[in-house]
Amino acid sequence: MSATMEDVIENGSATVSQLQPNASDEISAEEVALYDRQIRLWGMDAQARMRNAHILLVTIKALGNEIAKNLVLAGIGAITVHDAETTTEEDLGAQFFVDDEMVGLNRAEAAAPALQKLNPRVKVSTDTTEGIESRGADYFKKFSVVIVTEADFSTLTSINNACREAEVAFYAGSSYGLYGFVFADLIKHQFVIERERSNVETKIGSETRTRSLVSATTRKEPGGKFTEFVTKEEVYCPLEQVVVSQIDKKWRPRKRKAVSSVLPAVFGLWKFQQTHGRLPDPDEHKEDTKLFMASMHDSRNSLGLPLDNVDPSFAISFLDSVGTELSPVAAILGGMLAQGVINFLGKREQPLQNILVFDGDVTSAPIYCLRPQGDEE
Amino acid sequence: MTRAGRDKFAQKSLGGLHRNIKQAKCLMVGAGGIGCELLKNLVLTGFGEIHIVDLDTIDLSNLNRQFLFGRQHIKKPKALVAKETASRFNPNTKLTAHHANIKDSNFNVAWFKSFTIVFNALDNLDARRHVNKMCLAADVPLIESGTTGFNGQVQVISKAVTECYDCTTKPIPKSFPVCTIRSTPSQPIHCIVWAKSYLFNELFGASEDEVPEFDHSEDTDNAQEIKNLRQEAQELKRIRETLGQPEFAQNVFEKVFNKDITRLLEMKDMWKNRKPPAPLSFTSLSRGSLSSCPSDQRIWTPEENLWVFCDSLDRLSLRILGLKSMGEDLLLSFDKDDEDKLDFVAASANLRSQVFDIGCQSKFNIKQMAGNIIPAIATTNAITAGICVMQAFKVLKQKIKDARMVFLSMSGDRGLITEPLRTPNPSCQICGVARLDFECDTSKIQLQEFIKVVLQDVFEYSPSISILHDKLIYDEEYDDNLDASFENLGITDGSFLTILDESDDDQPRRVNLIVQIKTRSPSEPEKSFVIPHRIDIPMKQAQPPSLDSLVLSGKDFGRNNSPHVSNEVEQSRKRKAEDTLDSNQEPSKKVKAEGEIIIIDDGYIEID
Ligand SMILES: [Zn+2]
Repeated sequence: MSATMEDVIENGSATVSQLQPNASDEISAEEVALYDRQIRLWGMDAQARMRNAHILLVTIKALGNEIAKNLVLAGIGAITVHDAETTTEEDLGAQFFVDDEMVGLNRAEAAAPALQKLNPRVKVSTDTTEGIESRGADYFKKFSVVIVTEADFSTLTSINNACREAEVAFYAGSSYGLYGFVFADLIKHQFVIERERSNVETKIGSETRTRSLVSATTRKEPGGKFTEFVTKEEVYCPLEQVVVSQIDKKWRPRKRKAVSSVLPAVFGLWKFQQTHGRLPDPDEHKEDTKLFMASMHDSRNSLGLPLDNVDPSFAISFLDSVGTELSPVAAILGGMLAQGVINFLGKREQPLQNILVFDGDVTSAPIYCLRPQGDEE
Repeated sequence: MTRAGRDKFAQKSLGGLHRNIKQAKCLMVGAGGIGCELLKNLVLTGFGEIHIVDLDTIDLSNLNRQFLFGRQHIKKPKALVAKETASRFNPNTKLTAHHANIKDSNFNVAWFKSFTIVFNALDNLDARRHVNKMCLAADVPLIESGTTGFNGQVQVISKAVTECYDCTTKPIPKSFPVCTIRSTPSQPIHCIVWAKSYLFNELFGASEDEVPEFDHSEDTDNAQEIKNLRQEAQELKRIRETLGQPEFAQNVFEKVFNKDITRLLEMKDMWKNRKPPAPLSFTSLSRGSLSSCPSDQRIWTPEENLWVFCDSLDRLSLRILGLKSMGEDLLLSFDKDDEDKLDFVAASANLRSQVFDIGCQSKFNIKQMAGNIIPAIATTNAITAGICVMQAFKVLKQKIKDARMVFLSMSGDRGLITEPLRTPNPSCQICGVARLDFECDTSKIQLQEFIKVVLQDVFEYSPSISILHDKLIYDEEYDDNLDASFENLGITDGSFLTILDESDDDQPRRVNLIVQIKTRSPSEPEKSFVIPHRIDIPMKQAQPPSLDSLVLSGKDFGRNNSPHVSNEVEQSRKRKAEDTLDSNQEPSKKVKAEGEIIIIDDGYIEID
């Protein structure tokens, strides 16, 4: 699933980078010094895996700025930034790779030089051609991870499906003012947890609806303790299945009631977009508030969430946020999404399964695992 | 060129709050990991004015996360470079940078009062406590934050409304009994502390007699052992005098890895239930011939350890002799970023580990343990800084009750954990206090005048009080300073005095009184101070609520209140957050616990 450096060079798009990443697999002493504080967290092997990764980032607005910054600082091998739009005045409000002089330039090309400056070891390239949503699996195959931000539902699902066909991990995210989401479809992902061996015997087999324990090995440490290396596997499903799935059937009414309203709001927004071919905009179309609330109601219903006691002021506040971006919210969501990508590449941490929503009113970030149910339990 | 569209999104999604943001003047203390991210968020969100204070300069190992800095900025002041880079994000924000220590006296209470809100983005306990104290005195809301590895936390502090930074006790640094370090190590960390805090200092630094962290009072149960340790130290001092001679390395080696170990073996009782150590012989080990220091990633062979031991001793000796020839200070102190010193500590620690049959460590790991390095990544800092601003929104909206204590701790079902803010701890020494401003001419007023005329006559304090100014300056038994002027006691404009009510246990006691000194322009030159108005100093609660009961009542997990979650929060609560006790500012302490002598190492060692 991971792309090699040859793939990166074959990719014909414009290249900003002057430096070739170190060709050998050994991480140099200088890289160790630069990445010291993170190698101490995730280890040398994970760092080496990151260096061999080529990431595609679709759309570089505020959330994309944060994701790109975090991944380039962390030392991925290469990143291709795709954006076919031009920089607007509004982009200056929450994006730090662009400034006044860049308004009117292509957004990816405007952001690339500042992004490259963060880490000359990373190969930064841009892609400004339209129609990314209709590129097939062959195009996405060359990437280790594909991240799509601020896209409409049909773009999300078509790229998600193409990535599935290409067997490439897929992340998506959007920020809407104070709110937002992060989604992951890693298809099938194995990772190794390192832990001190406990008295309880490690059992091979299913751990959750999506995760199973595949194998475990033990190493004796000099002090007499034992370290256990447990290989786990998470199985994912694509976004088009997620939006027609219900909350875990076993959840009691009180837990259902506590589900964040951001979840049905995001799903309702996608529904609105599919039906009306545009985002809701109550300033232009008065009826949009009502129509959006109806979409949100439908989403609550299909998610299996209670329909009483829904606060209408939330829907209004969410609508005000649609299409806007705020720097601190982009930082929170971009941090979580980028860390998800790093964890996926490093193969040492539990990855996101499968949708996280953020609510800046109450600073909450619950994660829901949404997938077809029925045949499994 | 001004771009009107810049504010459009913030206005739309934040409404009226956006006006408050544009008018806010904030102080950001620390321009490191969290600071770089925070400054970006504050500038882009459109905060009107921001002051940045940081003492530090930029290092290569910062660049994996402190994105306002590049390679060309290494060794430059963080505050200045952060300002320069962030000013490009929004020309409408006014930025001021101070390359200075936040504890400098010009950053006084009046200066703190000029801010709408203060953000702490610090990496050490001492500065955090200082800013906490200043914000309480100035009554300015403080957003406190910290990160370590994947975890972060944000706390909103507002005088008399929420708990302050010091309302909960912070964990003391990991400590080790002196005998474990000197005689019976059982883990790699014991050998590393020995190499760094004992051997290195004995050979190159302040010798044992001058290092306060070693307490050799004779009240341990093993006087013989203490005697041996003393003798060892004296012998080492003699060897130190042979520094620069060709046999120096061999002398040190034979002494600490052979002779001292042989002597330890004679104490048969010690090895009844332990594996006895095995002395090493310099001549029987081959030194090998390397051209340079082996890789810091793998564990060195015994030959490599010996080679690095001798080679680093040679390098350090040359430096000492060089300093000596220039007539300079001959003392070195350990610094994890100094390769010669780190090599010496790594090799010595590993040789000792060989003696005691403990697993050796790579130089990379030894650096972390000896240098108290805490892992730090961009994503955690970015998320934490984002949360700081979200909490600042609540403060600026005058809705502090809606603010939350937030922990970044990713699990299967959530990314963040929140708790309601707790109310102040009534027995807190820092915020559970009464406050008084006291105007005086510090060159004239004497301590006894202050006690008699102000504390006893105006406030009717009994004679049972203590007065602290950083350290104790007066109590009933310690009256040496009565005749001294404030100036002679180092009490100047902006200083704080803490008055403790020491009445007998069965008497009600007043909460601590914090007196802030203000120097006075002598309008009536004959008077050395202004008699303050009497303020109400409340009594301490008879039984201050225990920390545990506070913790339990503070939970907000409702139906999800599983033990797993509580545990997680308590772990986060331990505030491991980039808290290195700054060794420059916080002197090493010695603590006696149940008759046992304990070293508190001069930093915070993270060993999970
Ligand atoms: Zn307090």
